[in-house]
Amino acid sequence: MGEEDKFDAIVIGAGPAGLACAIVLARAGKTVLVIERGDTPGAKNVTGGRIYTYALDMVDEGLLAEAALERIVTHEQIMILDGDRSINIDYHDPSFNNEDKSPQSYTILRAVFDQWLAGKAEEMGAMVACGIKVDGLIQNGEKVVGVVAGEDEMFADIVIAADGVNSLIAQEAGLIKDIQAHMVGVGIKEVIELPPTTIEARFNLNEDEGAARMILGCTEGIHGGGFLYTNKESISLGCVFMPQEILQHGKQVHDIFQELKMHPSIYPLIQDGETVEYSAHLVSEAGYRGIPGKLYKEGLLLVGDSAGLVINTGYSIRGIDLALLSGAAAAKAIIAETDPIKVGPAYLAELEKTLLMPAMKSTDGYHDVLEIPRIYSNYPQLAIGVMQTLYTVDGQIPKSIKKQIMAVVKDSGLSAWQLLKDGLKGVGSI
Amino acid sequence: MAKIIACYKWVADEADLRINADMSVDLSKAKGKISDYDKNAIEAAVQVAKGTGDTAVTLTFGSGKAKQSLKDALSRGPAEGFWINSGSAEKADGAASSKVLAAAIKEMGDYKLILCAEGASDTFARQVGPGIAARLDIPCVSSATGFEVNGNTVTVSRKLEDCVEVVAADLPVVVCVLPEINQPPIPGLKAVLDAGKKPTRELRLEDLGLSETDLAAKTELQGFEAYVMNRKNVILSGDSAADKVKELVANLKKEGII
Ligand SMILES: Cc1cc2nc3c(=O)[nH]c(=O)nc-3n(C[C@H](O)[C@H](O)[C@H](O)COP(=O)(O)OP(=O)(O)OC[C@H]3O[C@@H](n4cnc5c(N)ncnc54)[C@H](O)[C@@H]3O)c2cc1C
Repeated sequence: MGEEDKFDAIVIGAGPAGLACAIVLARAGKTVLVIERGDTPGAKNVTGGRIYTYALDMVDEGLLAEAALERIVTHEQIMILDGDRSINIDYHDPSFNNEDKSPQSYTILRAVFDQWLAGKAEEMGAMVACGIKVDGLIQNGEKVVGVVAGEDEMFADIVIAADGVNSLIAQEAGLIKDIQAHMVGVGIKEVIELPPTTIEARFNLNEDEGAARMILGCTEGIHGGGFLYTNKESISLGCVFMPQEILQHGKQVHDIFQELKMHPSIYPLIQDGETVEYSAHLVSEAGYRGIPGKLYKEGLLLVGDSAGLVINTGYSIRGIDLALLSGAAAAKAIIAETDPIKVGPAYLAELEKTLLMPAMKSTDGYHDVLEIPRIYSNYPQLAIGVMQTLYTVDGQIPKSIKKQIMAVVKDSGLSAWQLLKDGLKGVGSI
Repeated sequence: MAKIIACYKWVADEADLRINADMSVDLSKAKGKISDYDKNAIEAAVQVAKGTGDTAVTLTFGSGKAKQSLKDALSRGPAEGFWINSGSAEKADGAASSKVLAAAIKEMGDYKLILCAEGASDTFARQVGPGIAARLDIPCVSSATGFEVNGNTVTVSRKLEDCVEVVAADLPVVVCVLPEINQPPIPGLKAVLDAGKKPTRELRLEDLGLSETDLAAKTELQGFEAYVMNRKNVILSGDSAADKVKELVANLKKEGII
């Protein structure tokens, strides 16, 4: 092996995790090669999307100011659907776009963002080779020493698996098992183009500001939900489903999504828009308990989705920020430790220090709430039923509100016992 | 070692074209790429240079946007990339492009073989190869599906309507290749990394003794719009396969297709 074929670090995957790692390593003068199978970074990447911005400046000071982002989220929304009826809760917080401090979150298009971030990594001196798939690892005994791509072998002191959810690299290294259906959701998404002024009018937005919406009750009772994000000149609309339940359900994911698009409360938002992108991707759903028992072995670190680092609370999803943080944490560990045995433990220590692991731990219980099947059908029905009762005026003598609501509860098929149980589970886990 | 020069054009990726409601075409979202057929020309140059021991190089005439093509082109094997950087490339027709390319080829010197695609994947005007040959006053052999260099001559198989013609010419020659001449491989990791280390040279019109006015296009683009292909939507109703075939044949005859 000549000097030419050896790098300080090889990063597999040019998503936020891999690129954050490459940026921090290259900035410290390390020779870094990023290998990405897509023809351009972000070409194959799917996200809802929104990015929580605090993570960008933790990767590199000033990164946020330059980042290729869409709209500042000032409207946080939850929408509940049942049949053709809906409830939309809109929490508008202008302080999310306050001149004195960085906006909390932005909507994001990954094809644009990832390419920009890759440009940053190249500016810092990293090499980004696109259109190339890593086929496997080169191991010397139990130690990872390089990667194989097609007919070529490339060596490095350390390899970083940033290849996303269901990481084949982590599987090959024996750190994770083959994908388990209940640990992931299947996400599908369309990007629908509309003029900025139309988007602002339909969502009641100021210029440059945006809305992020979670949608409940649009999955025909299947564990999952919808999402909608307003970009500068487009809307990202999608759905996430549990794969096992879809199989049992019998209906095609695409058809359920089509019905969401045609829902009387959604269609007016996307009307006259043009779908310019259609994509599908897996998303990790298991939270803290989905993190593999070991995030490293000698010569290899797992970062971002390949390490299962996603927080899904049901009302928000965080993967990109954790990917950026973990990528940077891995780089810091590599820079600080010269002894290869110590790099892995140093990486774990960094994950604690940046509060990433503690955050994952504290949201662990959300998973139990999101496991409750009733969240995806009975509760949306219940909420809509209550609204319907409250807002129905038909000239009859109104019953007491309590009586009316009990009648709705009865209609929803929920027993008092289930309500109590779910309520306790909910309170206990958050 | 003489140069074997593959010319290529940086074109809009047709997969990204958008058709507006009024049938106008929106190119603003289109990413660039090396014209597909030019990849065949580059691969042919690399292969022939291996045999003759000459040096394969690439040459493109493009605006600033074409700079990003150099790495891609070099990852396909050539040793050096030349780029004539001028915004006038955006409006250039075959006459203007071949004028600039010929001037650059003269400047590069010591050339043995010039390879072009039969046409570019955006306009397919088939002007540039012959135009270069005319300006350099050397032979041009088009529609090549194979060729071989022996000493000072090149023997080329040309695909014609219903036969293959084999012609020979003394070097230097411009050869315009058809896509079936080879299958360009997708560059591997090492090839991509090597490409970043290979030399590139940027040429300006001034370096070639040309000015923008020399490049006035001889043809002017008047309009550019999409067209709708109307389908006839005929469903064959016959019961048996034989009936359907009969009906199909009758329909095709009626349309004057057979
Ligand atoms: C539908 C959906 C909605 C989501 N919404 C949000 C959201 O709103 N906010 C949020 O923060 N997160 C969201 N997430 C999660 C977020 O997208 C991920 O957590 C994040 O992308 C993880 O980043 P990563 O760098 O680890 O992996 P990825 O972004 O998946 O990047 C992995 C990269 O590795 C490349 N790769 C894979 N295998 C190979 C190989 N063998 N060789 C070379 N390259 C390879 C891939 O092409 C890809 O570029 C969502 C996810 C989905 C699916």
